[in-house]
Amino acid sequence: MSAPTSTQEPHLWTNYAPHPTAWDELFDGAAEPHDHCQALVQWLGQLEFKQFQERRHTADLVFINQGITFSVYADRRGVEKIFPFDLIPRPVAGDEWDRLEDGLLQRIRAINLFLYDVYHDRRILREKIISEELVVKSKCYRPEMIGFDPPGKQYVHICGTDLVRDPKGQFLVLEDNGRTPSGVSYVLENRVVMKKVFPKLFQQCKVRRVEDYPQRLREAFLSVAPPSAGHAPTIVLLTPGPFNSAYFEHSFLARNMGIELVMGQDLFVHDERVYLKTTRGPRRVDIIYRRVDDDFLDPTVFREDSLLGVPHLMKAYRAGNVTLANAVGTGVADDKAIYPFVEDMIRFYLSETPILKNVPTYICARREDLLYVVDHLDELVVKAVNESGGYGMLMGPSSTVQMRSEFREKILANPRNYIAQPVVTLSVCPTWTDDGLGPRHVDLRPYIVSGQSSWVLPGGLTRTALVKGSLVVNSSQGGGSKDTWVME
Amino acid sequence: MISRVAEHCFWMSRYLERCENTARVLDVNRTLLLDFDVPEEQQWKPILIISGIHDFADASNSEAVQHHLTWQAENPCSIVSSLANARENARIIREIISAEMWERVNYYYLWLHGPRAEAMYEHDRSEFFSQVKRINGLLFGIAEGSMSHGEAWDFFRMGKYLERACQTARILDVKYHMLLPTPEFVNTPIDNAHWTAILKSCSGYEPFHKQRHSLEQGTAVADFMVFDPIFPRSVQRCLLYCQEASHKISGRKRNEAGNEAERMLENLIDWLRLATIDDLVKAGLHESLTKVINTIHDIGEAIRRSYFDFDEARVMEMLTNGQQ
Repeated sequence: MSAPTSTQEPHLWTNYAPHPTAWDELFDGAAEPHDHCQALVQWLGQLEFKQFQERRHTADLVFINQGITFSVYADRRGVEKIFPFDLIPRPVAGDEWDRLEDGLLQRIRAINLFLYDVYHDRRILREKIISEELVVKSKCYRPEMIGFDPPGKQYVHICGTDLVRDPKGQFLVLEDNGRTPSGVSYVLENRVVMKKVFPKLFQQCKVRRVEDYPQRLREAFLSVAPPSAGHAPTIVLLTPGPFNSAYFEHSFLARNMGIELVMGQDLFVHDERVYLKTTRGPRRVDIIYRRVDDDFLDPTVFREDSLLGVPHLMKAYRAGNVTLANAVGTGVADDKAIYPFVEDMIRFYLSETPILKNVPTYICARREDLLYVVDHLDELVVKAVNESGGYGMLMGPSSTVQMRSEFREKILANPRNYIAQPVVTLSVCPTWTDDGLGPRHVDLRPYIVSGQSSWVLPGGLTRTALVKGSLVVNSSQGGGSKDTWVME
Repeated sequence: MISRVAEHCFWMSRYLERCENTARVLDVNRTLLLDFDVPEEQQWKPILIISGIHDFADASNSEAVQHHLTWQAENPCSIVSSLANARENARIIREIISAEMWERVNYYYLWLHGPRAEAMYEHDRSEFFSQVKRINGLLFGIAEGSMSHGEAWDFFRMGKYLERACQTARILDVKYHMLLPTPEFVNTPIDNAHWTAILKSCSGYEPFHKQRHSLEQGTAVADFMVFDPIFPRSVQRCLLYCQEASHKISGRKRNEAGNEAERMLENLIDWLRLATIDDLVKAGLHESLTKVINTIHDIGEAIRRSYFDFDEARVMEMLTNGQQ
């Protein structure tokens, strides 16, 4: 396929065998590169295996020396993993991206209005568009938020929406991560490494910049500072600490946004105001970019055994003296049993036609869906509604009889806790393997940043399965990542 | 800056300094043993003693001691532990130190855990220790040129010089534990070799000879290492650097009393300013050095109380009374 003139050394595309059914992000059905991929395919085609290997080695060294790791085990020093990075970028055509961007912005507007509604008038529940029981029984529903207006009425300051592409090339929404989505630091670091390894390639292909993310996020936060904040509000990033698997990302973002990285123990609340413990005494804090889940945020309100949070933080929050990003209680929108209603939310709140479609979803809390799901487990992907990272799920087609019967029990015991979706054959992107390039399934997580207005990072995290045929791309399940290129 | 972060800064530099000094001590003892016939059971004992290790089973086994002080992760004084601790502190405050600095700390940490360092240790031990000694110097240089010279930098320097003052005192104390066969050996080649070794382990050999010309008597070395006003590893010089950093942090003026840590530091400096080497020898050099080491330890504790332990209750009271 598209192999350059044959020489002794095998070139990158020499042995690339396309996937029989999946959409290929680089090549069309006739094995020709998509229009927006031509320059990339051609340039990569000039590389010999050996040269490519050398660049891979260079890239790995950058990650290792910079300690760009995603997982740290507290019990054994020095066991840190680098997130496997694949050097073949995943391009997205500019016009296609513009449409995606519109779709994502539409979604976040609706989700934000939904959250406000749920914690205020509950119109959407009263009009029975979404069942009230489904919402108030969600584990992530927070009665503490009822009647409270977060600064700027903004709830989901950062949303990571997972998209997949079906065999027809259509992008579908798999889920919205509206609590504390992670991974954006890899988007930025991947780009740095790509520019280091393939500087010339960037001159040939015009790729939209991702480097502005930290500043954009900072500006978004400042635009929703609490009224009590002065001219230069203090923003801090609250991390669970150095043993958290995403600590690298927390530190990366704090560094690049020019804000302090703090742990719960560094903050305290006095007279409904939040203070930072510094070497020169207390300093007021106005905005907290928290990477700690609701449950651990304030031991006097949520889990009382939490050492990660700040006692009485909710009091300061409800007094309007601090902005929390994301707001408390957003999980009710990213509950997998409520996500299927986002299209309805768009129609209800915006009176618009949804631009992006969801993957069809069976909600086990509904009797008819439940009966269908337990009968078709071998065809479906079943997911626990509040899990992420590829945990608590059943991949029907590759499951054993025993796994299915165990899952059937679990679902029947607690139907509200499960949803199911048909298996989507995710699109593939050429990816380096031990045998040269092979097609591997990928997804895409764009990041939407919202303050008074919203902005979508052009690109996002492309996660890739590294095992042939695998549809699971999560890093915790051995997946890797790629640089995502939105072409000009 | 955040109290917790300041503490990590302070400890990162202390661990780097420790890492360097352990390598210095091991290296110099090896060199010394090449020249003199020291009874086996005494060869490594002084090194263990100054490292605070009193129960090492294999104390007369040269390789075992070196291994323990270099590679043993369970030994908190080992080179591996010190560098791992420095790196862990650096990792936690990565957003405070410069990217270049983090990258190098991480690089050396990976180097020390990789096959190349192990091979160097086996085949060219002297170069191995030299390499370890260089780590601190290189990192300090990188930090100096790439990280803002604000409060974090001052905590970094305060930790560094406090630790170095302590390490110099410890190294000097090795001499006390290196037994001479009989008192008649004072000022003989063996005695002088000991002093020379001490000087070399602190990079003090050349600076000493530039100023003193000869090693007329051993205490001249002790005098130099405790009191020299310009030698960068003398106890007094290090304490003055530490004080300088401490004043920058607190913003204290000359005529103000300062916080607990500052007062203690000043007392120690004054005590040394008014003493001579003869006073120290008269009181017993080992006893005097022990006093220095213990006081430095107490100063470290006072620094913790003054800057790192945030007294929430007291501050809340202040806030309530409206002084923010």
